[in-house]
Amino acid sequence: MADRPRAFPRWKERYWRIMRSAVQGIVLAVFLYLFLRTVRGGVPPEIANLFPRLDPLTGLVNLLAAKTLVEGTALALITVGLTLIAGRAWCGWICPLGTTLDLFHPRRWKNKQPAIPDTSRGIKHFLLITILASALLGSLWLIFLDPVTIVIRTLTESVYPAIDRIITAMETSAYGVPVFRPAVSALDPILRPALLPATPAFTAGGVLIAAFFIGIIALNYFAPRFWCRYLCPLGSMLGLISKVAVFRREIAPTDCNNCGACARVCPTGTIQPDKTFASDPAECTMCLDCISVCPRSGQSFPAHLRPALWNAYDPGRRQALAAIGAAIGGVALLHTDQYLRRDLPHLLRPPGSRENDLLSKCIRCGECVRICPTGVLHPSVAEAGVEGFWTPVLIPRAGFCQYTCNLCGQVCPVEAIPSLSLEVKQAQVMGSAYVDKNRCIAWSDHQSCLVCEEMCPLPQKAITVDRSEFEGGAPVVDRTRCIGCGTCEFKCPVNGEAAIRVFAPGRSNV
Amino acid sequence: MAVARGGDDPEALVRRAVEALGGIGRFVPHGARVLIKPNLCISGRSYEYAVTTNPWVVGALVKLSREAGASRVLVFDNPTTGSSEDAFTTSGIGAQVGAAGGEVEYVASMKFTPVDLRGAEWLKKTYVYDEVLNADVFINVPIAKHHNLTGLTLGMKNQLGTLRDRPEVHASIQHKLVDLTAFLRPTLTVVDAVRILVANGPTGGSLGDVQKLDTVIATHDPVAADAYATRLFGWTDPDRLLNVKYGAEQGIGRNDLENLKIEEISVG
Repeated sequence: MADRPRAFPRWKERYWRIMRSAVQGIVLAVFLYLFLRTVRGGVPPEIANLFPRLDPLTGLVNLLAAKTLVEGTALALITVGLTLIAGRAWCGWICPLGTTLDLFHPRRWKNKQPAIPDTSRGIKHFLLITILASALLGSLWLIFLDPVTIVIRTLTESVYPAIDRIITAMETSAYGVPVFRPAVSALDPILRPALLPATPAFTAGGVLIAAFFIGIIALNYFAPRFWCRYLCPLGSMLGLISKVAVFRREIAPTDCNNCGACARVCPTGTIQPDKTFASDPAECTMCLDCISVCPRSGQSFPAHLRPALWNAYDPGRRQALAAIGAAIGGVALLHTDQYLRRDLPHLLRPPGSRENDLLSKCIRCGECVRICPTGVLHPSVAEAGVEGFWTPVLIPRAGFCQYTCNLCGQVCPVEAIPSLSLEVKQAQVMGSAYVDKNRCIAWSDHQSCLVCEEMCPLPQKAITVDRSEFEGGAPVVDRTRCIGCGTCEFKCPVNGEAAIRVFAPGRSNV
Repeated sequence: MAVARGGDDPEALVRRAVEALGGIGRFVPHGARVLIKPNLCISGRSYEYAVTTNPWVVGALVKLSREAGASRVLVFDNPTTGSSEDAFTTSGIGAQVGAAGGEVEYVASMKFTPVDLRGAEWLKKTYVYDEVLNADVFINVPIAKHHNLTGLTLGMKNQLGTLRDRPEVHASIQHKLVDLTAFLRPTLTVVDAVRILVANGPTGGSLGDVQKLDTVIATHDPVAADAYATRLFGWTDPDRLLNVKYGAEQGIGRNDLENLKIEEISVG
């Protein structure tokens, strides 16, 4: 026993845990920095979308569904390469959702946790195969389960707007007290627009997105990193690759005194006491906590060439067929959904994407929603049906598509929104505005208004003034010019639903 | 009233016009807090499109205020679309304000204060930006533009940018502009007509709709400023701009240009 070389000198043992936490912290900080600076004048859009591009799952499904290789997604090969060498290190060291779940891991829950059968680990594989098979059929309906997109979406549409509201409320009440006014005046320019939106951010289904995220965190109650163990499709993909990873955990039975410390500390519960504390590399996130706690340095991570063992919960032929069947059935059912018809009246898509088969390209990462400076883009809740869940839509009552902006196409990592020059983007027809003469205060009440005409940003205005009925003038849309940017709908002073609304172009216009 | 024309230096136009009025000291006392209100309109257009006030005209007013010993010179507008930061940048105004030693004020939503406009008939209650209320001197610096609702947008209409709820003001706007002008009482109105927008206003976007006039109008009288500016668009009757007509009727300024002393200055 004594002549067996130690895997690491003892002084290094805690070092691995500190190292890992440090890397997790730094990566999360970079992630948050990129998130905060995904704004006009922030980091360049093609760098701001780094994380979705590092994600091999979103890259692969985009390739399968769109059948074209997007240059930007090639970055994901780095992650694949990392996994081939060091297994699911992405999950343990990099993934922002994994890191978040590590933060929400109260030790006091541990005793109460029920035993979950290991077969549940197969759920994530089932999801992965369903997602991949659906992608082959051209549908990305389940890709919203990708962990990177979950975090970006939640930050964009829930956390960030909520923080903005809280701070705004605090500033507003403080500004009401004369003594605090100078302080608020000094503070606000520091916060806005560098860190918080210049104008209040609106959300679409922000509560739902928050609930989804809280649900994932709450599952940690049943097991640490419940999501990573049982549900995460990216974890499944990286896990299956890890079966052939070079470096994998190994335990030397001669060194082991069966203390069980490693099994107790393992966050994914893959160290099995009844199998001489062996573990499955597909479940191991390479966190290296087991090294830190092992009293005898019995574990090492040597190089391997042969694939790891296939476990009962790993996908077999039956499970794979069932998952493929679910994909076929699911996609077929989705295609019966009337929402799939592209000419839904209020389904307004980002500039240039309508003609671009958005549904089979969009990975629902939410980068476009994040970067949109006016807050017109939101993850669809109902506008695009089930298949289009959390794909970007324009909601003109929340914002407007700025005539001199083309950031969404620049930040989209998979070209679901094409990157267009300003000139080309300005010619994209997203929809067309229609005046509701029954509600328009100029047409129905003969009140002077013309806000829509005033605000139309086209150099040759798409709204003209009709003075035949009323000398103050009433708005008329010139259908040949209108591009559906929604500025008129956004600014319309009529309460509730605007009296001028943008409707999606019909199929004939596609 | 003073009108300066010619040359290719907007700052010289402003300086000469203000000098002709008796110098900036007449308007800006030593130690005063000055608020300058340009037209930022919408973000995304550079000044050549004549959608936003000429940056050097704004810069000149900042410099003049500084020279008069103003304690603080804030430049503020609440653009109709886009953030104020973006509008300050794309218009070029932000850079000139900084170079001239002024401060730009980005819209902070909590600073809109509910105000009762005493004696007002049409605009009785609205939210006004607090920094405007706090300023000792309010300098209004509109750009002269075409506007379909009112015909033109000049000085009085430019003041809408001090309010929070702008679209709501559009009903009976000409009357409300009079109420707002009577409330804000601009110390000085400087109409930027270095470039004017003659069609597709106020948002423009086509250089074909821009005319370069190299003209600046300066006066303490907000009604007269607008009345004179209508001439730049070839109007013969300033009362066609209803806020001029109603303003004169209410006695907050004059529309009888023929009876006013107007100093016409030729520069460069």
